Amino acid sequence: MTSGSGPSMKWSRRSVLKGAGLGVAAAAAAPLLAACGSSGGSGGGSASGSSKKVIIGSFQDPAMAPFRDKYVKQYQQETGVQVQYSETSYDAWYQACKSDGLNKTGAYDIYVMDDNWVPEFAAGGIVQNLDKLGLKVNPDILSKGLDQGYWPPKEGARLKAFKNDTPALYSLVIIDDVNLLYYDTRHFSSPPETWDDIYTAMKKKAHPPQLYGWSARGVKGNPVVQTYLPLLNSYGGNFVNDDWSPGFAGPEGVAALERLLTFLPYMAASTPEFDTDQETSLMLQGKCMALTEYTGTAVTEIDNPSDSKVVGKINMATTPKQVKNGPAIGTFICGIASGSPNTDGAVKFLEWFTSDRIQTQFAREGGNAAVTKTALNDPQASQKYRWLPAIAQSVQLSTPKPRTPDEPKFEDILGTQLNLALVQALQQKGGYDQIAQKYLNVAKGQMQAVLEQNKNIYF
Amino acid sequence: MAVTTAPVRPSEPGRRPDAGRRAGLDRALPWLLLLPAAITLGLVSVYPIYAGVHASLTTYLYGRPVAGAGLKNYTDTWHDPVFWQAMEVTLKFVLIAVTVETVLGLGLALLVANVVRGARWIRMSILAPMTVAPVVVGVIWRLIYESETGFVNPMFTSLGLGAPNVLSHEGSAFFGLVLVDVWEWTPLLFLICLAGLQSIPQEPLEAAAVDGAGPVRLFFNHTLPLLLPVLAVGVVLRLIDAVGTFDQIFVLTRGGPGTATQLISIYAYNTAFNFTDYGHGAAMLIALLAFAFLLVLVALSLMRRAAKRVAQ
Amino acid sequence: MNRAGRYARWAAIALVIVGSLFPFLWMLSVSLKRQVDIFGGPSLPKQPTLSNYTALFTQYHFGAYLVNSILIVGASVLASLLIGTPAAYALARFRLPRGLNGQALFAALLVRMVPPILLVVPFYIILAKFGLLNTRLGLILLYTGINTSFVIWIMQSFLAEIPTDIEDAALVDGDSRLSALRRIILPLASSGLAATAIFAVITTYNDFLIALTMTSTPAAQTVPVGISTLIGKIQVEWGPMAAGGIIGALPILIFAFIVQRHFVRGMTLGAVK
Repeated sequence: MTSGSGPSMKWSRRSVLKGAGLGVAAAAAAPLLAACGSSGGSGGGSASGSSKKVIIGSFQDPAMAPFRDKYVKQYQQETGVQVQYSETSYDAWYQACKSDGLNKTGAYDIYVMDDNWVPEFAAGGIVQNLDKLGLKVNPDILSKGLDQGYWPPKEGARLKAFKNDTPALYSLVIIDDVNLLYYDTRHFSSPPETWDDIYTAMKKKAHPPQLYGWSARGVKGNPVVQTYLPLLNSYGGNFVNDDWSPGFAGPEGVAALERLLTFLPYMAASTPEFDTDQETSLMLQGKCMALTEYTGTAVTEIDNPSDSKVVGKINMATTPKQVKNGPAIGTFICGIASGSPNTDGAVKFLEWFTSDRIQTQFAREGGNAAVTKTALNDPQASQKYRWLPAIAQSVQLSTPKPRTPDEPKFEDILGTQLNLALVQALQQKGGYDQIAQKYLNVAKGQMQAVLEQNKNIYF
Repeated sequence: MAVTTAPVRPSEPGRRPDAGRRAGLDRALPWLLLLPAAITLGLVSVYPIYAGVHASLTTYLYGRPVAGAGLKNYTDTWHDPVFWQAMEVTLKFVLIAVTVETVLGLGLALLVANVVRGARWIRMSILAPMTVAPVVVGVIWRLIYESETGFVNPMFTSLGLGAPNVLSHEGSAFFGLVLVDVWEWTPLLFLICLAGLQSIPQEPLEAAAVDGAGPVRLFFNHTLPLLLPVLAVGVVLRLIDAVGTFDQIFVLTRGGPGTATQLISIYAYNTAFNFTDYGHGAAMLIALLAFAFLLVLVALSLMRRAAKRVAQ
Repeated sequence: MNRAGRYARWAAIALVIVGSLFPFLWMLSVSLKRQVDIFGGPSLPKQPTLSNYTALFTQYHFGAYLVNSILIVGASVLASLLIGTPAAYALARFRLPRGLNGQALFAALLVRMVPPILLVVPFYIILAKFGLLNTRLGLILLYTGINTSFVIWIMQSFLAEIPTDIEDAALVDGDSRLSALRRIILPLASSGLAATAIFAVITTYNDFLIALTMTSTPAAQTVPVGISTLIGKIQVEWGPMAAGGIIGALPILIFAFIVQRHFVRGMTLGAVK
């Protein structure tokens, strides 16, 4: 029973609420009718009426900005073919295009993919065989970048079901995103070539926190693995051996991790939480001597005054050497959807974008990570964008990651232990070789468990 | 504020008029009223649960179901040490966070209950965190904790203490996450307790105070027992939701450092989507559903027991 | 309460308000900074700029996200109230055979307990089958379903508390059950409706996972999804992200401010069990 207020107050409250309720109802009803009518943009299912349209989907990334803002429109102007481009967040896009491809819903012609999706998408029939579609590959495309699109891979471990297959092209590289060494020319008179060069320089000059010797991504999983791979590869270690057994827990891998841990006294104490933006911000603020990172930092940030305080002062080279150089490569790569309504149009678009003319333009206007040899070594482009030759060199020296749909899981396993190794090394400040061995062994054991669980795919 | 304090009433059929036609309509009426809701709910719950169970009993390859797996996904999950670690983290997180939120929410409600001046603004300020999307909450706190650009580090160093680098250590990252959840959801418990406090009849309390009972005894002997049923509803709600916390963690730490903040929700999401192992992910999520189910059963029975005690 | 106690109370309240609102201020400060200043260290914006906000609306389609969110939330909450309230009434007023009332309530609660991640793939399949992927209507339908669960659960307890005498009087006077429901019961339960609506609005507006998976372009994407788009593969756009957080929270804050009185009142009616 209501206590207190008399009937008059209750009625006035109720009438206010009723009015509010009616207002809400009215406000919602009209849009409900309207919303039911307009079903929004590209829904799934229906193929485009005109066969002249090409639909491209991608994940949002600064590297894709020129593609989205300029080249899509340029293709329309040059050929009259309409191109529809949409992008969304990385995780959302991965699921969206995977579902679209698995169910052949046909909402897209071209998927812009991350490099490590290729094994899953190719093996799963989510993207089509480009050789069979008659795509003519530009012979000037750097071979190591192009190889990322082949399934099964031309070198390295293969899944059991594909062991004896001939590699075919399932996706075409459009941006050669590869590890580079970034170094501050104020602290290095010549490009450092080996890890020892880097270490000697940082011992001499670095004084955290005003000047760090090295900066790295430390977050568990994929980020910290990107930090580790250039080291691992350069020491001659493998992520996985040709028989899929984990290779990083051997002497080379341990030595590589130990090397990284020796840099820690000259790095930020909060490295375990660093992702790309924190890692590069140290350099962009002028507080870091050197680091390894992919090409995006060069192309979009280093010389941009609203991002960088060191415009013109950072140079790039291929990642340092121990027994060899070993930059990791992670291209932006395009596949044609299994349910694509316009495969011819898609093929023509991809051939156009990777042609000499367009790639040279891509390099000249903005210093983007083009994929052809001439574009990256074009004198006009490299004069303005000094990182392009470094990209070309890095691509041909690069080491691919394991080609399996489980690769993200492997990165998560290894990356969790690498992250823990960083945390402990920061506390302990010594005994780095033991720390390295300990955590790499744990990662090796976990990875072997995963391989064992799925052994019918691998062995 | 006018408020009903009607005790629990079991559903009674109202007195039915005698007209035969009326009686027929009345017998059919509840089913007619229930039908649209039953269909709607059926579509959104029955099919997903069936699909989830079905997926958990299937082996997937490259995203496609390829074979029945029997209980293999469940046994694999049972033997997966990372799964149990995530369970442990989830349980610790849920129990600590919800306890703190409840105590704090109750305390805040007691603090604010009798304030009249500026009550609306005070309530709004306390409620504000709850109205913000979890993704945004994750972003705000990432900015605050972030070592180079955040607030926490400079605050500590200006006091002469070392920079904590909250997100770089396992322990501090975990409790940093708890703090975020407490900031975001204490308002819910506050609201529930405030509403509960305002529905408690004042006369028994005033009588006891006249009899000489101090504020502490008043609270524990009189207020709290009446508040328990209300409190339990809020706690159940929070327990269920806390188990599924995902967005904030993803933005803050991705489950790191190591696995310090890797709740089941994160691990299952990665397994189901990013690691393309949908069968295992589904098995983990079904296990999570069963876990939430049990929690609700326990909480509801506790609630019923408390309500019975109050009725004495 | 004596003077010292009163001061202590106000000091505590002030502390709580600061702790509650401070993160918002921090976010505001970041939203007004340029990228290079954001990583220059914590401070007030040296060169405040509105570029993050303009970027939101020009580059990142935030206007579309806001429109979508408001439309989708409004429609789905309204629909779920329309579907759920009669069902709640049925469960509150009629004793169904074989203890079905309790089971029905628990079944209604079930969908709330299912981890959203588990809902996502089946939902995707359903929407794909009907061509409703990346549409506002698709999301409206899904959210209506989920909200109905919550509506039934809460409204049932509100309606059960309204005494049957009023209703019976109307029935004796010749009203049908349905018109009694409409004319008499609903106005009495309007505060419960408002409270339910508020909870549903907040929960639906803030949903991330379902909206993320069912949509792919700004034609149907909602505010939380739009905000997450700013989390790129390697990098977060902090400035626009902070601006997005502020703008995204505004509709909810305004909504909550308008109805928060009814909020507290409504909770009371339904919560006491």
